[in-house]
Amino acid sequence: MLVSNSPPNRDQKFFALGVIAVLLGAMLLVAPFARNRLEGSEPMVLAYTAAVFTTEMITAALLLSLFAVQRSPAILVLAIAYLYSGFMAVPWALSFPTVLASLGLAEAGQQTTASIAAMRRIGCPLFLLAYAMLRGAREVPAGRLVPALIVGSIAAVAAVVAGVTWIILGNHDLLPRFVDDSRRITHVWMYVPVVALVLYAVLIVLLGLLGRSVLDLCLLVVICALTIDLFLLSFVSAGLQFSVGWWAGRLYSLTAASVILILLLAEAASLSARLARSAAAERRANEDRLVTLQAFSAAVAHEINQPLASMVTNADAGLRWLAREQPDVHEASAALTRIARDGHRAGKVVEGIRTTFSRRGEDHAQLNINQLIRDVLDCYRDECRAAHVVMQTDLDADLPWVPGNRVQIEQVIANLVTNAIDAMRSVTSGERVLLVRSTAMSAGEVIVSVADSGIGLPPEHADRLFQPFFTTKPNGLGVGLTVSRLILDAHGGRLWASENAPRGAVFHFALPCDGSPAALAKEPVR
Amino acid sequence: MTSVVFIVDDDLALREALQSLLRSVGHVVEAFECTRDLLEHRQRLADAVGCLVLDVRLPGQSGLDLQRQLVADGILLPIVFITGHGDVPMSVAAMKAGAIEFLTKPFRDQDLLDAVHRALELDSDRRAAATALAALRGRFDSLTAREREVMALVAAGQMNKQIAAELELAEVTVKVHRAQVMAKMQARSLPELVRMADRLSADGRNV
Repeated sequence: MLVSNSPPNRDQKFFALGVIAVLLGAMLLVAPFARNRLEGSEPMVLAYTAAVFTTEMITAALLLSLFAVQRSPAILVLAIAYLYSGFMAVPWALSFPTVLASLGLAEAGQQTTASIAAMRRIGCPLFLLAYAMLRGAREVPAGRLVPALIVGSIAAVAAVVAGVTWIILGNHDLLPRFVDDSRRITHVWMYVPVVALVLYAVLIVLLGLLGRSVLDLCLLVVICALTIDLFLLSFVSAGLQFSVGWWAGRLYSLTAASVILILLLAEAASLSARLARSAAAERRANEDRLVTLQAFSAAVAHEINQPLASMVTNADAGLRWLAREQPDVHEASAALTRIARDGHRAGKVVEGIRTTFSRRGEDHAQLNINQLIRDVLDCYRDECRAAHVVMQTDLDADLPWVPGNRVQIEQVIANLVTNAIDAMRSVTSGERVLLVRSTAMSAGEVIVSVADSGIGLPPEHADRLFQPFFTTKPNGLGVGLTVSRLILDAHGGRLWASENAPRGAVFHFALPCDGSPAALAKEPVR
Repeated sequence: MTSVVFIVDDDLALREALQSLLRSVGHVVEAFECTRDLLEHRQRLADAVGCLVLDVRLPGQSGLDLQRQLVADGILLPIVFITGHGDVPMSVAAMKAGAIEFLTKPFRDQDLLDAVHRALELDSDRRAAATALAALRGRFDSLTAREREVMALVAAGQMNKQIAAELELAEVTVKVHRAQVMAKMQARSLPELVRMADRLSADGRNV
């Protein structure tokens, strides 16, 4: 789960309130000097714009990549808000007379800068409002739609900004009189901060009081910074450009642009650390499992080998007693008796292994196979992401309960999922898709199939697939499918494999169930 | 003297099978469950012509430990190792310490019988050589000091005349001593006496 999705804890709330308090305090400090004009500071506008533009573009890029993963429409709209704000900053900076002069361009109309600023000030909170409304919306379906939406959003925002700029530049005379001849704001401008402040107030309610996530909390800080900016600009410094109040507003604006960037960068850092930790934990668990399996198979090998050795030796001895010049039937039959005894001894070892795997009774429960599949897949999410495997499920909602050993059936599913992911590692072309499907069969069986788009089943391996110690993996032990089959045998189930189309393999297993279909829906889900 | 094959294996079934197999080709077999039981018959191990079929993994003292102990005690019984899971370093250690063979269970009967055969042959040869050397030593000890001096010089290839000059004796006296040496050492020819002298000096005698 991403930080931006998780609800904020007490510390984070206090921290956000602290930041807002500092911002308010700074405003009070600046207020007495707000109307002092800082002479010669106009060229700094370009530097300021470059900083805002860069910050907002990086934020938008990070949000778009977040959208590519989460596919939440709210995140897309938030990215669009930053794209819009960043793009609008460019014509805004270029409309300053000194900037235009330094670029050798003719002076724009007096209302240009103010009109662009008004569009930016009203537009941004509208997008943020859309974000707040879309927070609970359903995910965009995965596939080609996601990249199309990303590219389309960037193009649309760029087109809108270009269009707005073109209209403003081409229609000087129709623009409202936001500033007078001495570049002071008029009463017409006052509609802008009032509308914007109303929007900000709505947003503060939606994100502050009704906020759900750390992201909402950070946006609250952003809105507060923007509110202070607007307040300083419109009411304290009376719109006097390049005054202390005006520049302080620019700094607030820059702060607002940076908050989400800082959040996303911190989240990326903590995410990669968590990913590394969980990958390490998974690797350790795998190694532990491997060591257990190795110790187990060594013990089994010794237990079986001992009677085997004495059977072979007894058979050799019996043959030699019979091959003597005077065959000794008595000795030979004694050897045969011992062979039979050793055979039973080996059989007992095998029986012991079987009962270890089946232990009917105390640890058998009614299992919700769909839930088991989800639990197992949750454990493999990081590994799938690392291997660029898309995880898909097609689970039958009317699945009946299945009696069985939870840990063992989970082990079977985990073995098949591990195999599927490993089979796709060496595939370089095409999508890597892992599809787990559950189906209720009318014959009183539940069938689970794990399909991959990996290397498939080479025909020469087909008959050895389920043999113990057969493996195609460099570090494999070759017991995964054997153990899986043992477990399913003990549950009265079956395990088999088939080809996947267009490529890859599907492993299926069937488990008998004794509940009626749709029974799951009535019983509480564990 | 009949040879004995000693077996040490903790698995009763395999012990019985091995006994039956070895008896079927005419060996005399004595089987033990652990090394302690075997060592109770220490004197028989030292006296009889025999060999040891030894499991590596045993309760209590391991097969490899027993091998070291026997060497330290001067009981040079040839050993054929059998093991359920032999690894290379283990077999190398066993072979370096003088084992005849290192077999992994289940083994081919012919491999085991061949190894036992070789082990018994080796033990019997070793014992015969030891007996012959002891007899030779006894004969050498029966010589007088003068006769030993003469034997050393004869074995070094010196003529009677040279020996007489060296020992300041009459040549005829040397001839008498020389005849005595040949008779007491039961040497039928001069080359045979030289070989005896070689073997004695290899054994540490001052010949």
